[in-house]
Amino acid sequence: MTEVIAIENLTHSYQAKTPVLDGVTLSVARGEIVAVIGLSGAGKSTLLRCVNGLVKPTGGTCRVFDTDVAALSESGKRLLRRRIGMIFQEFNLVDRSSVLTNVLIGRLAYVPTLASCFHRFPAQDVALASACLAQVGLAGYEKRWARALSGGQKQRVAIARAMAQEAQLILADEATANLDARTKTKIMEIIQDVARQRQAAVLLSMHDIELARTYCTRIVGLRQGRITFDSPASEVSEADVDEVLRRNSAGEQDDET
Amino acid sequence: MKFYGATPPASKMMRPDNMPRTEPVTGNMQERMQSVRQNAGAWFSTVLTGAIAVWAFHGLQFNFSHLSTGIARQSSQLVHLFPLNRGDWFYDLALMRTLWDPLQATMQMAIVGTVVGALLAFPVSFAAARTGYFPRPISNLVKTLLNVARAVPTLVYALVAVSLVGLGSPAGASAIAFVTFISLGKLYAEGLESVAPGPIEAVRAAGGNSVQVFIFAMLPQVLPLYLSTMLYSLEYNIKDSFIVGIVGAGGLGFSLQNAINLYKWQDAGVIIFFLVVLVNLVDYISYRVRKSFS
Ligand SMILES: Nc1ncnc2c1ncn2[C@@H]1O[C@H](COP(=O)(O)OP(=O)(O)OP(=O)(O)O)[C@@H](O)[C@H]1O
Ligand SMILES: [Mg+2]
Repeated sequence: MTEVIAIENLTHSYQAKTPVLDGVTLSVARGEIVAVIGLSGAGKSTLLRCVNGLVKPTGGTCRVFDTDVAALSESGKRLLRRRIGMIFQEFNLVDRSSVLTNVLIGRLAYVPTLASCFHRFPAQDVALASACLAQVGLAGYEKRWARALSGGQKQRVAIARAMAQEAQLILADEATANLDARTKTKIMEIIQDVARQRQAAVLLSMHDIELARTYCTRIVGLRQGRITFDSPASEVSEADVDEVLRRNSAGEQDDET
Repeated sequence: MKFYGATPPASKMMRPDNMPRTEPVTGNMQERMQSVRQNAGAWFSTVLTGAIAVWAFHGLQFNFSHLSTGIARQSSQLVHLFPLNRGDWFYDLALMRTLWDPLQATMQMAIVGTVVGALLAFPVSFAAARTGYFPRPISNLVKTLLNVARAVPTLVYALVAVSLVGLGSPAGASAIAFVTFISLGKLYAEGLESVAPGPIEAVRAAGGNSVQVFIFAMLPQVLPLYLSTMLYSLEYNIKDSFIVGIVGAGGLGFSLQNAINLYKWQDAGVIIFFLVVLVNLVDYISYRVRKSFS
C-alpha cells in the first residue's frame, strides 16, 4: 500500500452556503510531494484540514493510512494525528511558551499525559526537538519566548514542531510564505529529504509556482473548490497556471503579491 | 512626512471601498430614512439620560441648609481623629498592641479569602466557560448562578457567615472567600473563553489529548490573567475584609465599629490610618508583582 492519502469526491461547506470544496478527488503516495495551488479562498487550507480531521467534511470520504478519518473515534483521531505533521498557515505557536516547548508539542502524543503535564519529556525527545530547530536554522533559540520571534522565525518553529513528530505524512499550509528566498529553498530541501529518505508523503499548499515546479513531484490546481488540473510538476503548462489563477469572481482575491 | 514604502498598486488604490464616501445631497430614500432614524435614536437617548439624571438628583433631596452646621459639628470631631499634640505615648503604645491582632486578622482574612476563593474558582471556571469541556447547558447554568450570586453584596454574605460560624475573623474569611470565588469564577471563565484557538488546534493536530490541550495551549495563555486578577482581588479584599468586620466578622473593621460606639475618636483615627497604609502597601506590592509577569 503506497497511497497515504486517498480523497474521494470530498465536499465541504461551512455554513450551508456555497461549497468550499466541491467534489475533490486526490491521492498522495509515499515519497510524493504534492503542491496545491490556487487563489486565496480557493479552499486549500480547508482541504488540508480535512486530511487530519480538524475539519469534518460534509460529503465524500477521506482515507489516510487506510483509515476513514471521519469514522474515527476521538482516541483514534489522536493516534492518526500523531502520524501527521501539520504546519499551519498562521503558525499557531503558543506565544507565551518557550521555543523548545513549542517544538516539544510535536512529541506530546508519544509522552504519558501525566509526565507531559509536568513538562517532563524523555531526553531523546528534547534532543530531537533541538535537532529539528537546528535543521531550520534556529539552533540556540530553545529558551527564547515564541512571542519574541520574527514572523519568519515563528514559521520555522512551526516547521520544526511538525518535523519533531517524525511523521509519515506532512501537511504544510503555505509553509514558506514568510521566508526569504534562501530560507525557502532550504525548507523545501528539508521537506524533500523527508519525502525521499523517510518515504513520507507531503501535501502542501503554496503560492510560489516556480518553487512548486522545482521541488514538488506533482502540482494540483484548485479553483473554487474544484480541481482544475493534476499533473506531474514538469508537465504543468502556463495555461494550466493561468486558468487556476484567473480572477474573475467576487469571492476570490489573491492577497499574496 | 516622507513615504518610503512602495506605493500601493493602482488596482488597490482604486478599490471602491477605499474611496471616501461623499454623500450626494439627494441621497437615496433608504439612506435618508436611516439617518433620520439614527438622529431620532440619538435624541431619544439624550432626553432619557437627562430625565434619569433629574430623577436621581431630585429624588435624593439634598438638604444643603444642613451642611453648614454639619460641617461645623463634624470638623470639631474630625480633629479628634488625628492623634496630634496628645503626648500620651503610653496610650499610643497600648493602642498599637491592641490593634496589632485585628490588623493581622484583616490581612489574614483577605489572604485566606483570596487564596481559597481562587482555588475554588479554578475548577468551576471550567464548568462555566463555553469551551467544550462541559456541555453547553451546564456552562449556561453555572454562569447564571455565578451572575446571580455576584449581585448580592459582600455584607450580606458576611451576615450569613457570622450567623453560621459565629463572630470573628473565620466568618469574615469565609464571606470573602465566597465572594472571591464568585467573581473570579466568572472572570476565569471569560479568560478561558477568550483563549486564542490556534495553539489549541496545534496541540490537537499533533495528537495531544484534552488534558495536554489545557496544559500546553490554554494555561500559558490564561495563567498571567489568572494571577493578575487574583492579585487584583487581593487588593479589593483588603478593603472588603475591613467592611466585613463592621458587621462583626473580626479584624480592623470590628475594632473601628467598637471605637465609634465608645466615642473613642482617636482610636478610630489610628485604625483608619492603619487601613490606608495597609491598602496602599498591598496595592503597591501587588502592582509590582503583576508588572513582573505581564
Ligand atoms: N472556519 C470557517 N468558517 C466559515 N468559513 C470559512 C472558514 N474557514 C474558511 N472559510 C471560507 O472558506 C473558503 C476557503 O477558505 P480556505 O481557508 O480554505 O482558503 P485558502 O485557499 O486556504 O485561502 P488562502 O490562500 O487565503 O489561505 C473561504 O471563502 C473562507 O471564507
Ligand atoms: Mg489558506
